[in-house]
Amino acid sequence: MMRDQQIIELCAKHDRKAQQVLYDKYSRLLLGICLRYATDKAEAEDILQDSFLKIFFSIKDFTGSGSFIGWLRKVAVNTAITHYHKNLKYRYHVDIDEYVTIEAGVMSFEEDFFTSDELYKVLNELPTGYRMVFNLYAVEGYKHKEIAEMLGIDTNTSKSQYSRAKAVIRDKLEKLGKLRNSYSDNG
Amino acid sequence: MADIFGQQIKRKLKTKKQNINLRKLFKQKLEYAEVIPDAAVRTQLMHRLARKEFMLFNPARLNIYYLGGILITGITAAVLLFSGSENSVLLNSSTVLIKANQSDTGSYIQIPVEYPVRIKPDNSNLIHKKTIKTRKTTTLPQKSEVQTPKVTESFRDSILTPTGISKSVSKSGLLNKVTTDKNKLQSEFKNDLSIIDPFNSVGCAPLKVRFHNNSASYDSCRWTFGDGGYSNQKDPEWIFDVEGEYKVILDVFGHDGKSLSSSALVAVHPRPQAHFEISPEKAVLPDDEIRFMNYSTNAVQFLWDFGDGTTSEFFEPRHTYSKFSKYNVRLVVLSEWGCADSLTVFNAFSGSEYFIIFPNAFIPNVQGPSGGFYSSKSDEAAQVFHPSFIGVSDYQLKIFSKLGIQIFESNDVKLGWDGYNNGQLCDPGVYIWKVRGKFRNGEPFIKMGDVTLLKN
Repeated sequence: MMRDQQIIELCAKHDRKAQQVLYDKYSRLLLGICLRYATDKAEAEDILQDSFLKIFFSIKDFTGSGSFIGWLRKVAVNTAITHYHKNLKYRYHVDIDEYVTIEAGVMSFEEDFFTSDELYKVLNELPTGYRMVFNLYAVEGYKHKEIAEMLGIDTNTSKSQYSRAKAVIRDKLEKLGKLRNSYSDNG
Repeated sequence: MADIFGQQIKRKLKTKKQNINLRKLFKQKLEYAEVIPDAAVRTQLMHRLARKEFMLFNPARLNIYYLGGILITGITAAVLLFSGSENSVLLNSSTVLIKANQSDTGSYIQIPVEYPVRIKPDNSNLIHKKTIKTRKTTTLPQKSEVQTPKVTESFRDSILTPTGISKSVSKSGLLNKVTTDKNKLQSEFKNDLSIIDPFNSVGCAPLKVRFHNNSASYDSCRWTFGDGGYSNQKDPEWIFDVEGEYKVILDVFGHDGKSLSSSALVAVHPRPQAHFEISPEKAVLPDDEIRFMNYSTNAVQFLWDFGDGTTSEFFEPRHTYSKFSKYNVRLVVLSEWGCADSLTVFNAFSGSEYFIIFPNAFIPNVQGPSGGFYSSKSDEAAQVFHPSFIGVSDYQLKIFSKLGIQIFESNDVKLGWDGYNNGQLCDPGVYIWKVRGKFRNGEPFIKMGDVTLLKN
């Protein structure tokens, strides 16, 4: 097993073997990220491919300071954002007002209550704008100001989209929970 | 277990904490989640990578790819060069009779043009001879400029009779095509291509044209209709939906791969559309003069039928009807190519609004009876009790006192009550009126009500 440092050096020289090793090592993690930003797996795989192309062609610029995984993540997220911008006009935009913010059904979620598959599904079903903001803020941990810059939107838009996204997610999770609840009732 | 889940869901927490939970849930579950990509993604990525790296010029990587690329480019160039020179000698000379449209008269004549058949794919218009490449003029070089039908006549004889294929020249003189070939092809194709039904080749969209392939002894044929459609049938039928001029090309292919081409023009003109409106919208017959607003398109000639036996050919006529009735107004329009359209409005004036309404008070002129005649001046002071109306034909107004005694009657809608009875001014108070009659459209009306006589 090659060490990361070795892989990086060889990849910088466009060594085909090293590129494959890099792919095999990190593609699953990066697809896990891409899937959060996509509507389905096919789109996520598109983003993944683009991310790897970017990675292979700019790996020589990776300075070695900071974690390599962190760098890979960043490339994947940025690619997802590029993808979002590129496809913005083709996407089905859901009118914001269609979703009524449900604050009444406030609840907490136990981690083990939902599988990651279910969480992915919930994210995939979100309107694209919501999904971007939610991922960047909740999972990647960016600030609203940074998100606003990345997505080219207003800071307040980022904030409101985040809170609306939460409402939608909560609603969806609640439905999931209820479904499962009734299922276990029957079982 | 189910109960515990239910309680967890229903447990209400403060907003802030719950936000953290939602974030935490996704962060913990998904931040380092791994999803196995499809195997095809890897292969595809490697291909894309190889392609991209190939485009990235790198002398150090000058290898078999580059050599292969150069080789392929060279071969492609050579093939292109070779095939390019081949294309130009596809067919030898042939004589084609095409129609020509004399723009001033609009009539069609035939012009024989001798030229090497080398139909350009984008050759959109064969009407004007300049677009035909008369590169190789064999028998009649300078005469091909002549446009008069008379000369054409003689050409036709001289060209067609010797080859024995002149029969197809139709008497109507419209689109007709004879393609001859002077070399070997002649033995294989009887080049008698009268491809278009002459009565159909000009018309209005959508135009249905029946084509005939009169060639003999050929393997296959292909019609290209010029609007993107094609057919391999012998005698196809085609509908041109959109106006324009279409060059229809017929290619016939012989057994040995030789082919002959023939073309003709189909002119599809826009269909006119008849459209008009009636003004005023709710006209009252026979009082109103009716104006007809013409919104027809692509039309040059108009024929109006007002439905009462009178007609007009004006663009926007005016008409006054002599009596109320049901009228069907019809407009027929003709385009400059003779295509027609019509629009009929049935019962055109049924929407007319007839009405009769009465006021509920009036102030008689104390200086004496007016006889019930009213004018705008008397109206201003509300001195005469009379209705406001449109389209009333029959009319009878009766006015009663509170005791039920009839004190006024009028059979003329233009005659109202001045407030006097037998020359005496009636007392102020409430009076009852009743009206019956008919509107001009035959609809009867009966109304009653009260009116207050006020004193000035």
